Amino acid sequence: MTPDESTPLLQVRALSKQFGGAHALSAVDLDIHRGEVHGLVGANGAGKSTLIRCLAGVIRPDAGELMLDGEPIEITSPRDAERFGFAFIHQELNLVPHFTAVQNILLGVPKPTRWGMVRWRQAAAVARDAAARVQADFPLDRRVDELSVGNRWLVMIARALVQNASMIAMDEPTASLSDVESEALFRIVRELSASGVSILYVSHRLDEVLDLSDRITVFRDGRVTDRAVRGDLDKRGLIRAIVGQEIVTSRRDTRAEVARTAPIFEAQQVQDLPMVRDVSFEVYPGEVLGLGGLVGAGRTEVARLAFGAAKLDGGSFILDGKPYRPRDVADAVAHGLALVPEERRSEALVLDKSVTFNASLAALSQLRAVASLPFVSDRKAKNRTLEVIRSLSIKTDGPSQEVGRLSGGNQQKTVIARWLLPGIKVIFFDEPSRGVDVGAREEIHAAIRRLASDGVGVVVISSDVEELAMLCDRVVVMHEGVVTGELAGDEITERRIIELSYAHVQEPQEELT
Amino acid sequence: MTATITAQPGNAAPTPGARTRSRAGRITLVILSRYGTLIGLALMLILFTVRAPTVFPTLQNFTNILASGSLTAIIAAGLTMALVVGEFDLSIGYAASFAGLLVVGFMALQGLPIWVAVPLMLVIGAIIGAVNGILVTKARINAVIATLGVGTILTGLGFAYSPFPIVTNIPPEFSVISLGRLIPGVPNSIPIMVIVLAILWVILNKTDLGQKMQAVGGNREAARLSGIRVDRVKIFAFITAGVCAALTGIMLSSLLGSGTLAAADGYLLDAFAAAFLGSATLRDGEFHIVGTLVGVLVIAVGFNGLSIFGAPSWAQQVFSGGILIVAVGLATLSRRILKAG
Repeated sequence: MTPDESTPLLQVRALSKQFGGAHALSAVDLDIHRGEVHGLVGANGAGKSTLIRCLAGVIRPDAGELMLDGEPIEITSPRDAERFGFAFIHQELNLVPHFTAVQNILLGVPKPTRWGMVRWRQAAAVARDAAARVQADFPLDRRVDELSVGNRWLVMIARALVQNASMIAMDEPTASLSDVESEALFRIVRELSASGVSILYVSHRLDEVLDLSDRITVFRDGRVTDRAVRGDLDKRGLIRAIVGQEIVTSRRDTRAEVARTAPIFEAQQVQDLPMVRDVSFEVYPGEVLGLGGLVGAGRTEVARLAFGAAKLDGGSFILDGKPYRPRDVADAVAHGLALVPEERRSEALVLDKSVTFNASLAALSQLRAVASLPFVSDRKAKNRTLEVIRSLSIKTDGPSQEVGRLSGGNQQKTVIARWLLPGIKVIFFDEPSRGVDVGAREEIHAAIRRLASDGVGVVVISSDVEELAMLCDRVVVMHEGVVTGELAGDEITERRIIELSYAHVQEPQEELT
Repeated sequence: MTATITAQPGNAAPTPGARTRSRAGRITLVILSRYGTLIGLALMLILFTVRAPTVFPTLQNFTNILASGSLTAIIAAGLTMALVVGEFDLSIGYAASFAGLLVVGFMALQGLPIWVAVPLMLVIGAIIGAVNGILVTKARINAVIATLGVGTILTGLGFAYSPFPIVTNIPPEFSVISLGRLIPGVPNSIPIMVIVLAILWVILNKTDLGQKMQAVGGNREAARLSGIRVDRVKIFAFITAGVCAALTGIMLSSLLGSGTLAAADGYLLDAFAAAFLGSATLRDGEFHIVGTLVGVLVIAVGFNGLSIFGAPSWAQQVFSGGILIVAVGLATLSRRILKAG
């Protein structure tokens, strides 16, 4: 088949990828035409980034095929992807900070040489042409770490042009851009597409996707659930496609109403710019409060602020009726706060140490043989570990097994075990069941409910809306650092959480001060 | 070899040989990485006993080995504490030299009694360690650079204090520290080493501080997010290293009967070699006191053998540098095997 105007630039056929047992992509079909802006939308974990990573050669699909101009191709490495003319721009821009814009634009591109020496003048001319196409109006001899984020994006796009990319994938391009910078980017995206470059545009911001895209593909649970051409869909329709049909009306177990008399923990207009702009919520003892929202909504940052792992820019916390401003994590722990972080292997566990070691880290002073002497009683530590192994059903050879050899779910339970302490008042769970199998997930949820019924205030951050709907008594939803809504009791549905996650929010009112 | 196995998992016939060989190879590697140091030590003991049956395997010679090794053991054990929390301390050799010079000077030049001079010097050692710790944790200077800088400054200060060796006016009881024999036939440096190592072992393995040190070294962020004050734990480790270095310097001067500039500088490399050998002993790439002691014995027995067989002095340095490289190589191997699981 010879390439002609009607053959799509890239055809994706029945692409599938599994991680563990989960289908990240199942039999996805997708066409990308020459010179179109193709929007990809879907909730967290719907499969957009897995698709992009397959195209970029970062991961290998399990099944399916790709065709470039009608010819089957195989992408086994990022080099392949580059050779086929695909460029990928992620939020973490792949730039060398102390190189100039010219050097960065030409990174990895063969440069004209004479006698083995780079002819910079000629090379710079190539870079300048590309920069002109993206309307870069800043001096190209500036170091990129002195450039604004918007201009760094232009550098990345210019690099893609120098590499003769026929398709550029952009992942959340406007997440860290100002409105003016975003407008400039949109203009460039349109001009690139007019000149025949295809743009794969991934964004949570539905308004701009609707505005820019010639066609939109919607993902849910690893499948394509909707395709639309310009004008077919509006924002409501798009959200409906993202949420899908809610099969599970309510799998929430009936539970006693939480007595909401006095909150145990309050956040009041908390700020940590740029991620957290204005967040207020309260948690009552015995309650499981969910924090919903898209990745990057600022939820993890709120937990880290409360836990003393980051400094407040503004606002305040109240713990047990008293103002609370932790100096550091140790201070927060001393006040009875706990955090089960998102990245358990890098942020929570010492992998080559035992279950006992890891489960005891926050309890050391309570495990002393004699309270006034700094000696840890091995017997007490072991007994406590045996107890938590039983109560959380951690599957292990015994307390002395290395934590690194446990499964993800049992590692997570070990982190939870660390905080099963008498003095804990408020505990934050950040993505508690990520990378955990279904059985362990239920047990972790049971442990979370148990903590709440013991009178602890529990905050669960999750990008898994089903988890929030099943587990939480109340859900506060955030969008780009601002609370967009609160749901309680029967209002908590997956659809409502997703709608609020995408909700377009007015700019926050004038800040006091 | 593994590739052939995974390539044809169904075809059992040709693989058993390869499988056993690769498993045997793996086991050999594990044995080498965990027990390599001990095996090396045993081989040296056997070799020296066979080659010098009248000189080497005597009580007197073993006492000598332990006495000379005890100084290395103390400074290396202090270093081990810094390594456990995931930091480096390159100032220990210079700090030991500095302490050895100053403690003699305090008595000979300033006329302080021994029971003031020695404790004062240990306190100064603690202060040096604290400075290291604060530079690394609060000023966030890379530990290699910070401690190298502090060590060099100490050398300069020592030179300013007394550019010449101090040999006169030293109270005779000063030599008792290392050379006296509270236990008949055993120089005091040996029981001092035993006590210091025992204390450090207890701190590291039996106290909550020790658990925190291991957590900080194992995963700094996890330790911090468990409510451990990482900076304090690290500063404590540096202080321990500083005190141990000062003690080694004091004991060396007591042994030599003089205070000499740069006398203890050479302990730096031996301490690192011992600690890294130790990390590949019994455990997989983890620094620990007992391992460090084994590492010290390897070095001390090696030196002893070299001098028994009349090796030239350059051979000592070749041995010293070589053993450091072997030690780090073994430790790296251990950690790789741990990762491979």
